Amino acid sequence: MLYRTAGQFKTSYTADQALFPVRQDAILLGVILVFAYLIFPLTASEFAFQTLLIPILIYALAAMGLNILTGYAGQLSLGTGAFMGVGAYACYKLITIFPWMNPIVAILLSGVFSAGVGVVFGIPSLRIKGFYLAIATLAAQFFLVWLFEKWAWLYNYNASGAIQVPNLDIFGLYVSGPQAASVTQYYLVLGVVTLMSILCINLTRGNLGRTWKATRDMDIAAELIGINLMRSKLVAFAISSYIVGVAGALYVFMWKGAAEPNVFDIPLSFQVLFIAIIGGLGSILGNYLGAILIVGLPVVLNLVPSALGLPISSAMVEHLNVMIVGGLIIFFLIVEPHGLAQLWRLIREKLIIWPFPH
Amino acid sequence: MKTITKLATAAVLGTTLGTAAVAQELYVPNLAYRTGPFAATGIPLMNGQADYFTMLNERDGGIGGLTVNAEECETGYSTEKGVECYEKTKGKAIVTQPWSTGITLQVLPKTNVDEIPILAPGYGFSPMADGTVFQWAFNMPAGYWDAASMIVQYLEEEGSLEGKKVAFLHLDHPYGKEPLPLLETLSENKGFELLPIPVGLKEMQNQSAQWLQIRRERPDYVVMWGWGAMNAGAITEAVKTKFPMENFIGVWWAGHDADLRLVGEDGKGYKSISWSFPNLEAPVMQDIREHVIDAGLSNTNPEESSGVFYSRGIVISAILAEGIRTAQEEYGTAEIDAAQLRWGLENINMTEERITELGLDGMVPPFSTSCANHTGHSGGWMLEWDGEQFVKVSDLMNANTDTYQDLISAKATEYADENAPWPTNEECSATN
Repeated sequence: MLYRTAGQFKTSYTADQALFPVRQDAILLGVILVFAYLIFPLTASEFAFQTLLIPILIYALAAMGLNILTGYAGQLSLGTGAFMGVGAYACYKLITIFPWMNPIVAILLSGVFSAGVGVVFGIPSLRIKGFYLAIATLAAQFFLVWLFEKWAWLYNYNASGAIQVPNLDIFGLYVSGPQAASVTQYYLVLGVVTLMSILCINLTRGNLGRTWKATRDMDIAAELIGINLMRSKLVAFAISSYIVGVAGALYVFMWKGAAEPNVFDIPLSFQVLFIAIIGGLGSILGNYLGAILIVGLPVVLNLVPSALGLPISSAMVEHLNVMIVGGLIIFFLIVEPHGLAQLWRLIREKLIIWPFPH
Repeated sequence: MKTITKLATAAVLGTTLGTAAVAQELYVPNLAYRTGPFAATGIPLMNGQADYFTMLNERDGGIGGLTVNAEECETGYSTEKGVECYEKTKGKAIVTQPWSTGITLQVLPKTNVDEIPILAPGYGFSPMADGTVFQWAFNMPAGYWDAASMIVQYLEEEGSLEGKKVAFLHLDHPYGKEPLPLLETLSENKGFELLPIPVGLKEMQNQSAQWLQIRRERPDYVVMWGWGAMNAGAITEAVKTKFPMENFIGVWWAGHDADLRLVGEDGKGYKSISWSFPNLEAPVMQDIREHVIDAGLSNTNPEESSGVFYSRGIVISAILAEGIRTAQEEYGTAEIDAAQLRWGLENINMTEERITELGLDGMVPPFSTSCANHTGHSGGWMLEWDGEQFVKVSDLMNANTDTYQDLISAKATEYADENAPWPTNEECSATN
């Protein structure tokens, strides 16, 4: 029907290996990009920017970073929240030590620090696997949050122990801090997320991605065919932590505006992990779908009772919200254990062969 | 699918924003937390706040003829939800009540741009007292530095602090660290040894390590900046380790009846500084009983409504209502906006007479605010647990604000510099 592939012939290997072998995929992506780059910024309210658009993009980016490590390279990590924290604190220190630095440069540089920390905590992955590795990354989680609390230099000896984002501008246009307009921040986040998505899509389709997948599926076999496991795993840790670190810097600088150490505690790690799992491990699209479900849906659900004029107290709405989102997570995982991305893949498959199911 | 989801989101958003009716009312949203780990302390406060406004609506038809819409937005004490609530309500709100130091820190810079007064009674950032810098922030009737100063004063009354050891048991969180700068100065001036003992958010319920340290160090006093589950944890642990309760003093958020009821008689002597007191005989309490509780409009129960926190909720709402009233009188209109309310909150004059007029006898100390003084420094009473309830054991005390006036302006300027450009109130000539 919508996905009729009849008549789309491939005449070369390059065409066959293109990112979008089916033309409709490219069109769909184009529509989404038009929405993301034009329609949403023009129509969204301050509320939509601050509670839906910006956080969904940032969480999707963090989940993408985790997905590289867990979904593609098969290394389970529970330290995402702490690595986001490293990015955020690194960005804060960069901005306060070098106030002239361009904020975008600072955000992109801060990922380098979390990549370094990620590699250090990734070293145990060379010896241990699976749940045992998860415990090792859990140690990173606890240690780093403890460090954020105790190392006063990180937050410039601020009495409250929290980091506050200053007003930063690029050529006179405020991009962070209270003076920044939401739409500016949205475009900046969107730009970074787009860039990282392109990077991830290409990385995972290329040589490195195949190495990761081989490591994930069977590391002994991968080693036998000549893959350097140490390199493969550590590069996965580095790239994953880099993206997670950038997401952390965006999380504080482009969205929250202030953060105390316990923001980066284990609930954040779990939230990002759930986004990656529910969205679909080993997929880029899944991160966005997962973020929409986990981050966006509760906000929208919160609006429903008042939109319908139902007299429900706000605490009750919150309880209902937790129940509905929890129920939906279970529902989606029963319907499709491989996540929302796989669900979309099946829908697309069915649309292509419609009306002849097999 | 992605598009569809996004479209649906946009559609729902559109309808909500479109149907938001503009009614003639005073919209004073409250970022409440009736769920989550701090709900036990949140519920009585929120009930008190809501019941006072319901009483005003029922008894007087609101304030100045306009009904008060004190809608709650549930945050569960989470900063993310708090910001969501702030964004959701700020469109028509004339005030925002963030209810957590974390949310306050995030909302504080935004209110300066959005120009909405932020009311953080008895919590938040102590330098907020400097109204010329923090034009939109209010934490009357008293701030954490006032509390620290009053506690030290009370201890001094029992004898000089020279050479004594004071343990400062606090939540390892912006809230718990708030009084540290002042306590450090005071310990230098008064010659007592300050021993800060942090309690991590994860250790709130199990403080055996901290209390082991207290037993080893044998401090003369323990001063506690605790919240939520930490208070009950500390109090039960103090009883278990047989720490003399009369030497154990908490800030006002650590004076929750339910926490003490857990230990009952054993908690006798525990003290808490407070700027509010549950005077059940006060006319306002009787009005609330008559118009709200007996009419079935309240969520409270008899045990809760006689407690410290429920009455604190009432006092907070009464302060806000007084600010609204002051603004209405000044501008000659019932329908005030956010900027007008700011003027009202800056010109509250809670004299003894006014407190009696409002029926709040003995529930709140007198205080007044100005454009330079956004805290009011009301002073407070030392309350003591007598085994069944909190009773006043001191006369009204006043903080030595002179000793930390410089600290307030220094920290306020520091904040403004870090957040430059930060508009300050140049017109204000009053001094703090």
